[in-house]
Amino acid sequence: MPKQKHFFKFFNCLIIFLLTCQCCFAQLPGYKSFNLGEANSSNKIFTLFKNKQGYIFTGCDDGLYKFDGKQFKKTEVLHSSVTDTVTAIFQDSKGQLWNGYQSGNIAVMNNGNLAYIQPEEGTPKKGITAFAQDRQGNTWLGTRGEGIYYFREKRMYLINEEDGLSDLNIHALAVSSSGDIIAATDNGINICSVKGAEKKITVITPQQGLPDYIVTSIIAAGNDQFWVGLQDKGICLYDHRTQQITQPSAIHSWNKGQVNSLLYNNGNLWIATQDSGLINFTVTQNKIISVPALNNQQKSITSIIDDNEGNVWLVADSKTLIRTAGNSLALFPLYNKALFETIHTILADHENNLWVGSDMAVIKYTSPDALSTSKKYPIAGLDLKTDITSLYQDNFHNIWIGTMGKGIFVLNPATGENRQLKEVLPSGSNSILSITGNSNTICAAGLEGALVFELTNKNISIKNPYGFTSYNNIENIGSTYIYNAFKDSRGRTWFATDGKGLTMLQNGSFTHYNNKNGIKDNHIYSITEDKQGRIWFSTSNAGIYSFDGKTFTNYTLRDGLSNLAVSSIKTDRQGNIVIVHPSGLDIIHPQTGNISYINGAQGIIDINTDMGAICSDSSGNIFVATQNGILKYTALPGIQPMPVTIIESVQLFLNDIDTNVMQYFKYDENNFTFNFNGLYYSNSDNIFYQYKLDGFDSSWQLTTDDSKSFPKLSPGKYVFRVRSSLNKNFRNTSSASFAFEIAKPFWKTWWFIALITLITGGVLYWYIRTREGRLKHVERLRQEKIEFQFQVLRNQVNPHFLFNSFNTLISTIEENPAVAVQYVEQLSDFFRNIVTYRDKDMISLEEEIGLLQTYFYLQQRRYGNYLQLQINLTGHDEKEIFLPPLTLQLLMENAIKHNAVSKEALLTVQLYAQNEYLVISNNINHKTNSETGTGMGLQNIINRYAMLTDKKVIVHKTNEHFIVSLPILKQG
Amino acid sequence: MKKGIYISGAIAILFAVTAAVPMAVYKVSKGSIQFRSDAPLELIKASSDELAGLFDSDKKMFAFRIKVNTFTGFNGLLQKEHFNENYLETAKYPYASFEGKLIEDIDYSKPGTYNVRAKGNLTVHGVTQERIIKITLEVKNKLVSASSEFTVLLADHNITIPKVVHEKLASEIKVAVSAELTTP
Repeated sequence: MPKQKHFFKFFNCLIIFLLTCQCCFAQLPGYKSFNLGEANSSNKIFTLFKNKQGYIFTGCDDGLYKFDGKQFKKTEVLHSSVTDTVTAIFQDSKGQLWNGYQSGNIAVMNNGNLAYIQPEEGTPKKGITAFAQDRQGNTWLGTRGEGIYYFREKRMYLINEEDGLSDLNIHALAVSSSGDIIAATDNGINICSVKGAEKKITVITPQQGLPDYIVTSIIAAGNDQFWVGLQDKGICLYDHRTQQITQPSAIHSWNKGQVNSLLYNNGNLWIATQDSGLINFTVTQNKIISVPALNNQQKSITSIIDDNEGNVWLVADSKTLIRTAGNSLALFPLYNKALFETIHTILADHENNLWVGSDMAVIKYTSPDALSTSKKYPIAGLDLKTDITSLYQDNFHNIWIGTMGKGIFVLNPATGENRQLKEVLPSGSNSILSITGNSNTICAAGLEGALVFELTNKNISIKNPYGFTSYNNIENIGSTYIYNAFKDSRGRTWFATDGKGLTMLQNGSFTHYNNKNGIKDNHIYSITEDKQGRIWFSTSNAGIYSFDGKTFTNYTLRDGLSNLAVSSIKTDRQGNIVIVHPSGLDIIHPQTGNISYINGAQGIIDINTDMGAICSDSSGNIFVATQNGILKYTALPGIQPMPVTIIESVQLFLNDIDTNVMQYFKYDENNFTFNFNGLYYSNSDNIFYQYKLDGFDSSWQLTTDDSKSFPKLSPGKYVFRVRSSLNKNFRNTSSASFAFEIAKPFWKTWWFIALITLITGGVLYWYIRTREGRLKHVERLRQEKIEFQFQVLRNQVNPHFLFNSFNTLISTIEENPAVAVQYVEQLSDFFRNIVTYRDKDMISLEEEIGLLQTYFYLQQRRYGNYLQLQINLTGHDEKEIFLPPLTLQLLMENAIKHNAVSKEALLTVQLYAQNEYLVISNNINHKTNSETGTGMGLQNIINRYAMLTDKKVIVHKTNEHFIVSLPILKQG
Repeated sequence: MKKGIYISGAIAILFAVTAAVPMAVYKVSKGSIQFRSDAPLELIKASSDELAGLFDSDKKMFAFRIKVNTFTGFNGLLQKEHFNENYLETAKYPYASFEGKLIEDIDYSKPGTYNVRAKGNLTVHGVTQERIIKITLEVKNKLVSASSEFTVLLADHNITIPKVVHEKLASEIKVAVSAELTTP
């Protein structure tokens, strides 16, 4: 049996141990650890860096990673397949990111492309440990064993022991205001300055007052002073102007071992040590505090940086990246859960002690930073049923204790002496809900109205009676049920009433603010004042209001409030309004109206929302009671309380493009993807985005995705805009944009359309012109034909022709009637043929010759053998040659008309073919009275041929002959 | 002139110092330098085999020098005269030298090829510039072969060239050195 008992005991112990471990995690608000991911579990982190955008980079044993709060993204070195360990990261004034490797390689990132640089001088063979940039913009680098290199113009130079460097192992570099490079080495501090070819090295070693030989880190502390981390002796301060070394007295007995890295912000020096975890040194207080580690094994802190939100990041055991809340959050696990259940109010006193009200007593926890001791002050006159609702410390450091049912007690914390304020009881004020104050005025509010105390010097002793005014007149305040009375910086007293709104007392008169003023809820819980003198108050279900003396501004869920029922609000040291919810704190930044959060993302759970369970100390630090202890929240100056919107990349058909260069795209380059991020390390999992593509979207689109694609954008001008927020309120949030243009396809461009119009117009014009020409040609042909017919007819009905023909006929009738009959037949044949052929465009040569011979017969009867016709067309088929009708007849007629025909002058007309021409010629017999010709006949022939063929009719006149050559035309 | 004396002095000291530990001192037995100016209008190439120098492998220190007017192989006599008289003023500055110390440590007892860097003072035209120069060393018993290529900026050494010749002379001269060093 006893054995079994032992076993159970052991088991119990185990369970308790495990639970304690759990507690350990929960007791570190703001802590979160990040691993490089499953695939990279073996990775070691060698260095941390924050770039100008605020991104954290980790230098790992397999390269450079960018951390966006959710994941680590690796940047590969271009054209390199070797694994290279990043040991130093730096961003120069041009924004270029420099990487130094353990191999001595150096890489520079430009537009997202990381590439090794290859100086003519070669790269160091030893690892790069640090970078710096002097005032000329030259980059310097420290090595583990080769000294310090620097780039100037085209060359790379080396400073080593020959130049007077005291040691070649460089751990860190810093730059003075004058541009000197200050190096931390294994043998003191080396100050390097280069003027032309001259190098000047000043060495500071223990001989010059340095506490240690080995200097591991050095960082700027402002005013040309530098914090120096030492291997064994902690830290010291180096003043570059005087070249003096001083060491704060708190460091004199340093026993935390080797300093690895330093971070300095807001008067706090963060010291990362090799064996003792993270140490915080508060310069003004000359105090060192060990910052708790996430677990006890993580004692080796190799690298440390801060982000823009006040978080301090560290690398533990070279492999875990840990986010801490830095100075902004601290948790004091002062009490257990059972005690927590009895606590309704807390107080931070002037000595940074914390007080809680518990059953029948108040408990003081001394200096909760170190191992806390507690002291219990029993309050006589309280019973177990009495809740302590409020604690307040007056100007004389006496503690005021408000109770439910027993009125107010005052305690002298030095002596523990306390008394009930019996003087207030007659006014019925025994149920106190809150006590607040302002200099010598103390306001106590409760179920029976409010009491306003004005303290005098006599009240330094709690024994003397307190002077007060009682406000329990319903007509004045509206209600005797008052949650909170508050005296503002202008001497006004404000009362938060249950159901009657807010009442303000100024110079003896009361003003009421309620539904009539637009306040949606008349149950007011808590009042505070910001640095601009605005009054803020919380309500039972309508959120928070601010009042600037004229208007009430309401903050609700839409503005990002976590919960509408708010029992307590307080103003922090930066003037922000802190709101307590069970699940965390909402912080309203009055300047912008933005709300940030301290909640589950910082590991905060189970906050006591009792009205008195939030307090602030004289420095404006806020304290709230949580199940795990009292949480201290310090608002840091100059932090960025909301995400910074960054367009990470723009992709065209899912390929990254360089947004600096590419802003114009072709019509078919129309598939865009935008990857963006709201960089906010404190709560990177809950970022809301709004995006709008100007030229596509008409309004902002809400999303929680960090990527948006537009698959088929039509040509036009676009601006992609995106903004990010911690909630759905996007007023005054940071935004990013990318403007680009997609060109129209060429067939939609003005010049193309103009060109096409021009060409079409041209073609149309040409067509019309040609058609017109052709029509005119046909028309002219018709005209010519008619004219020709007219000419022929006129010729044939010419009285001369008829007269001559009839004369011939008369003489023939007498001589030979048979021939006369034949003659008349030929004449009638001739006229019939003319009538038959005149309508035709062309007739065959055979037909024309027939006509010609008829005409010749008629004329020969008149001229006898003095007129001769010789036809020689051997070798040509008369049926295949065509010509306009009556052409030959007309030419023969012309020959007869223009020449004498007599015994002395024979007229011979010849028809023959020569070289594709039909030639008709006659000899010239000059006539004494030539018939005047119109010349129309020949011209008409020439014109008709011109319309039928390109070949010309050739008219040739010699002294003896008149020759007309007609081009031979063949139909078909 | 002063520089020349200084360099001669340095070599003399090296000799004197190394005389005590003869094993660690290497002397150039065969050495040549080539240079090349690749200007848009004219390519100038010349070389000299009269490289002299010493190297102390224990101290990693070295000193090399060459008489500038021994360079031959110019395109013409006129070019050589220009080079000697106008640009490098060999009458005034007869020697060019490089002396300094190796950055890396090497085991000279182990044969092999090593890429090292030397930090030293390069003196050309009487002007000394601190330089880091990459050198390939091939170690074979008592023989060390060294070869190196680097550039010399005329502006670094106050070698001014008239505007008319800009197209004929590059502002950056490529130099190639190879030497065999032996230890007695």
